[in-house]
Amino acid sequence: MLEGKKIIKRFGGLTALSEVDFEVRRGEIVGLIGPNGSGKTTLFNVISGIYAPEGGDLFFEGRKITNLLPYERARMGIGRTFQIVRPLTGLNLIENVSTGVLYGRKKTAGARGAKEKAMEILAFTGLTEKARRLPGELVLEDRKRLEIARALALNPEILLLDEVFAGLNPTEISNAIELTFRIRDTYGTTIFMIEHVMKAIMSTCSRIMVLNFGTKITEGSPEEVANHPEVISAYLGAAYAAC
Amino acid sequence: MQKYRLAATAILLAMLAAFPFLEPEVYYLSFMFSVFMYVILASSWNFIGGYAGYLSFGHAAFFGIGAFATAKAASMLELSPLLTILASIPAGALAALVALIVGYPCLKIRGPYFSVVTICFAFVVELTVKNIEFLGGAEGIYLKFMDIPEKLSRSILYEVMLLLMIVTLGVAWWLGRSRLGAGLKAIRSDEEVAETMGIPTAKIKIQAFILSAFFPGIAGGLFAYYLTYIHADVVFNINISILIVLMAMFGGGGTWLGPIIGAVILTVVNEGLSTFAQAEIARIIYGALFIVVTIFMPNGIIDFFRKKGGG
Repeated sequence: MLEGKKIIKRFGGLTALSEVDFEVRRGEIVGLIGPNGSGKTTLFNVISGIYAPEGGDLFFEGRKITNLLPYERARMGIGRTFQIVRPLTGLNLIENVSTGVLYGRKKTAGARGAKEKAMEILAFTGLTEKARRLPGELVLEDRKRLEIARALALNPEILLLDEVFAGLNPTEISNAIELTFRIRDTYGTTIFMIEHVMKAIMSTCSRIMVLNFGTKITEGSPEEVANHPEVISAYLGAAYAAC
Repeated sequence: MQKYRLAATAILLAMLAAFPFLEPEVYYLSFMFSVFMYVILASSWNFIGGYAGYLSFGHAAFFGIGAFATAKAASMLELSPLLTILASIPAGALAALVALIVGYPCLKIRGPYFSVVTICFAFVVELTVKNIEFLGGAEGIYLKFMDIPEKLSRSILYEVMLLLMIVTLGVAWWLGRSRLGAGLKAIRSDEEVAETMGIPTAKIKIQAFILSAFFPGIAGGLFAYYLTYIHADVVFNINISILIVLMAMFGGGGTWLGPIIGAVILTVVNEGLSTFAQAEIARIIYGALFIVVTIFMPNGIIDFFRKKGGG
C-alpha cells in the first residue's frame, strides 16, 4: 500500500538517503532498523511530507503522493508519531486527541462527537484516568501512549511509529508491544516502525528493513536480518561479521 | 450555571445599550466607545495572535484601512449618515482582502520574524496612504457630520459600536469552540505536528488572519465617523498595534475572556491615569502593572480567575 522508489534526500553535501526502495503491504508490521544517523527518521519525514525528497517517488495505494502536502497525506491515511514526543502542550489529553479526530478522515458529529471518539481512543491506549491532565504532567510511558493516541485520532490506514519503545523499561515494552498488535488487530492499521529495542522488533515485525548510511542494505524476516553479515558489520563492526 | 451566565450577560449588554438614554456627558460616551473599540480590536487580534500564536504587530493597519476606506467613500460619494455607517462593512471587507493578500506570503514565516514583517507591513500601508493625495495624503480626510445634535449622533455611533462588539465577541465565542479554533490551537502548540494530524495549517492560518482583520476594519470605519476627521498619524499609529497586542496578552491570549478583560482594564487605566495623574507617574504605574502581571500571571489576568475557580 505504501511504496517508495529510489528515494533520495540530501542535506547540503550529506546524502541522508540514497536511492532507497521500500514497500509496505496492507496488514503488515514492518520494522525499520539501522545504526544512528542511518536515515530512518529522515525516511519517515519524507514519507509524511515534512521533507521533500531530491529524487524518487512515493506511492500510497497506487497514487503518487510525492508532491502532496503533509496534511493531505495525513488525510489519505498516513499517521505518524515523533521520536521525541511532541504532544500539543497546553491542551489536555482529550483536546490533543479530539483535534486530530476533528481533522481526521472520518466525519464526526461536531465537537461532542469528536470528544466521545477521543475518549474511546484514550481508553484504547489506557489513558482514560489521565484524560483531563496536561501532557507535561505525564510520565514518559504515558506520553508515548498519547503520541500513539494522537496519531490514531486520524484513523490512519498506516501508522509510522518512530521509536515508541525507546526509553521504556521491560514491563512497559511488553505493554507497548501488546498495544502495537492491538492497534493492527482492532483497527486493521498497517504498521511501519523504527525501533532500536531488539526484543520489540523481533517479536512484532513480520519483515525488517535495514538502513545504513542512507542505503538499504537488506530486508527480510527477523531471523534472516539478524544473521545477515552486512547487518552485523553495520552494528558491531566488520570484525564481528567475519566470525 | 450556563443559563445563569447567559442571563447575566444579557442584562449587562442591555445596561450598556441603555446607557446613552441616561443622558450622560459626551466624555463618558466617548470613553465607552473606545472601550468597545479596543475590545473589538483585541478580540479580533486574538484569532491569529492568541489562538494560532502568530503575533501580529501591525494590526493598526487593518484598523486604518477600514477608517480610510470609509472616510474616502463617505466624502467622495457624499454618503448619507446611514450609508456611511454601512460603508464600514465593505471597508472591513477591504481590510480582510488586504489580509488575504498579505497573509499568504507572511504567514509562512514563523515566530518573531512574522511579528517583524507585520510591523513593516503596517509602515508600508501608512506611508502609502500618506503619500497618495487621493487617499488623504498628509492632510487627512474630513467627514461631514450628521445633521443632528452632537449627543444624539454620538449615541447612535455608540450603539453601532456596541453591536459590532457583540458580533465580534459572538464570533470569538464560536471560534473558541469550533473545529477552526481547535486547529489554530494545535498550530500554536506545534505546527509541524498539526500538519501530520491532517490540519491544513496554511489555509486555516489565512482564514484566522482574514477574520482578525475584518472586524478591526469595520471598527476603523466607525471610529473615523466618530472623529469626523482622520489622519494617517492617528489610525496607523504603531502604538495602537502594540496596545492591541498588550491588551490581549495582558488579559490572556487564546481565551475568549482574556482580551475583553485586558482591553477593559487597560483602557480604564490609560484613561484614568491620563486624567488623574501626571504623565510621568502614569507611565510608572502602567509599567509596574505590567511587571506584576507578567511575574505573577504569565498567561494573563485570566490566570487569576482560573486559579480561583479551582482548576
